[in-house]
Amino acid sequence: MRANFIFSEVWIGLRRNLTMTIAVIVTVAVGMALLGIGLMINSQVSSMTSYWSDKVELSVYLCKENSPFEPCTDKKGISEEQKTALEAVIKGMPQVEDVIFEDSATAYKNFLDNQSNNVFASFLKVEDMPESFRVKLGDPDQSAAVTEELTGQAGVSNIVNQRQLLDSYFGFMDKLQWMALSVAFAMVFAATLLIGNTVRLSAFNRRRETGIMRLVGASNVYIQLPFVLEGVIAGLIGGVLAAVMLITSKVLIFDSIQNFIPEALGWNTVAGIISGTMAIGVIICILASFITLRRYLRV
Amino acid sequence: MIHFDNVTKVYVNQNRPALDHISVDVDKGEFVFLVGPSGSGKSTFLRLVLKEERPNSGAIHVAGKDLSKLSNFKVPHLRRRIGCVFQDFRLLPNKNVYENVAFALEVIGKPRRFIRKVVPEVIELVGLEGKAHRMPDELSGGEQQRVAMARAFVNRPMILLADEPTGNIDPATSIGIMKVLDRINRTGTTVLMATHDAAIVDSMRKRVVELEDGKIVRDQSRGVYGQAY
Repeated sequence: MRANFIFSEVWIGLRRNLTMTIAVIVTVAVGMALLGIGLMINSQVSSMTSYWSDKVELSVYLCKENSPFEPCTDKKGISEEQKTALEAVIKGMPQVEDVIFEDSATAYKNFLDNQSNNVFASFLKVEDMPESFRVKLGDPDQSAAVTEELTGQAGVSNIVNQRQLLDSYFGFMDKLQWMALSVAFAMVFAATLLIGNTVRLSAFNRRRETGIMRLVGASNVYIQLPFVLEGVIAGLIGGVLAAVMLITSKVLIFDSIQNFIPEALGWNTVAGIISGTMAIGVIICILASFITLRRYLRV
Repeated sequence: MIHFDNVTKVYVNQNRPALDHISVDVDKGEFVFLVGPSGSGKSTFLRLVLKEERPNSGAIHVAGKDLSKLSNFKVPHLRRRIGCVFQDFRLLPNKNVYENVAFALEVIGKPRRFIRKVVPEVIELVGLEGKAHRMPDELSGGEQQRVAMARAFVNRPMILLADEPTGNIDPATSIGIMKVLDRINRTGTTVLMATHDAAIVDSMRKRVVELEDGKIVRDQSRGVYGQAY
């Protein structure tokens, strides 16, 4: 095997087909970058889902005096007996893992900790804050059933399921991920066709050489390797560009939203995704080249 | 060296066979002319020797190998023992004489040291010394065919197939080409040449196998192109 001969053939092939090669590189780069971004969103969402699943709880707010909520019809607020009874009911439910009672003072303190709106905080008093049971569930997916059962219990004003607040956010991330992945799929498909076409053009351009190679008894590897390598090199360059795009998007997008998100996307994950997409890009190039060669370069 | 035993070849979509129950034996070191009108099966015969086509029936042995038992993987190795020359030369226009000949060795993975040694020798053998750095379009037709012969012979094949090598060349130049083929034959290489050129066949006085409509109608040692009188 003479490496320099093969590589000079590859170089000639790439240069002769420059426009097609550039097209392949760009498609592979965009396709792989979108695939990578889709995977990055996916891993971000799943790490956040598991983070939040541990923390998601139901807030069962209790009636106060003159509470505006519909169930608190008698306007007197919850009595101590009702409170105890309710706690027992909640604790008796099989889905419930833990219950914490939050009184008005704690609620006020938590509110002040989380609120930056000082004007709002200045006229809100401790008595304005409702008392609540913070219910932690063994399986967060059971929240709907628990909510239904607790609604209408005496003294319950309303139930806030934190899960529902997060679901709209997760739903958005999910859509974004599927959009990126489906565009990536289309790009990968286009890249496959383009590589096939490039290899076919290349094979046609060099039909004289390959004809002679066949005639003098060059082995299939010698004849086909330059074409396959052309595809692989174009795929690799595209993969490197995709890696640059992914690193940029990690720094510019994912790191900037890190402030709002507890679980940041780690460099380890990004590195894994980059090597994964590169491998996919190169494998696609090899496959597309081989399939095309089988059709257009009979040996 | 080449052994055809009852070989029949029918191309798809054609009812008339291109070769019809042919049996021929060519020994090592022989020089054989394959003559006959266009469409008589000469090219099919050469393609079968190279295993570019498969016969529908019959057995072919080339260089001691049964072609029907030769896997596709080994076909390149068979072709390394067979040199080929064509009417249209088939040189690479962007490579000079030396590079064209060297190409045949590069693509079968020969070391560069070996190539530097044998290519000039074979260029001299075909009578092109001093023209190694000419491009094909700077050469006459006869000289281009010499380059093609050098390329076919550079790997010292056991068999040289020539498909109308003088077809594009004027008669005077053809004589030079035939001298080179004869020289190659004298090194022990079996030469099988398909041709229409009566004058050349008559002057060489070698074995003549005549094909007509896919059948052998004559096999004559020291023959001539037309019927022997």
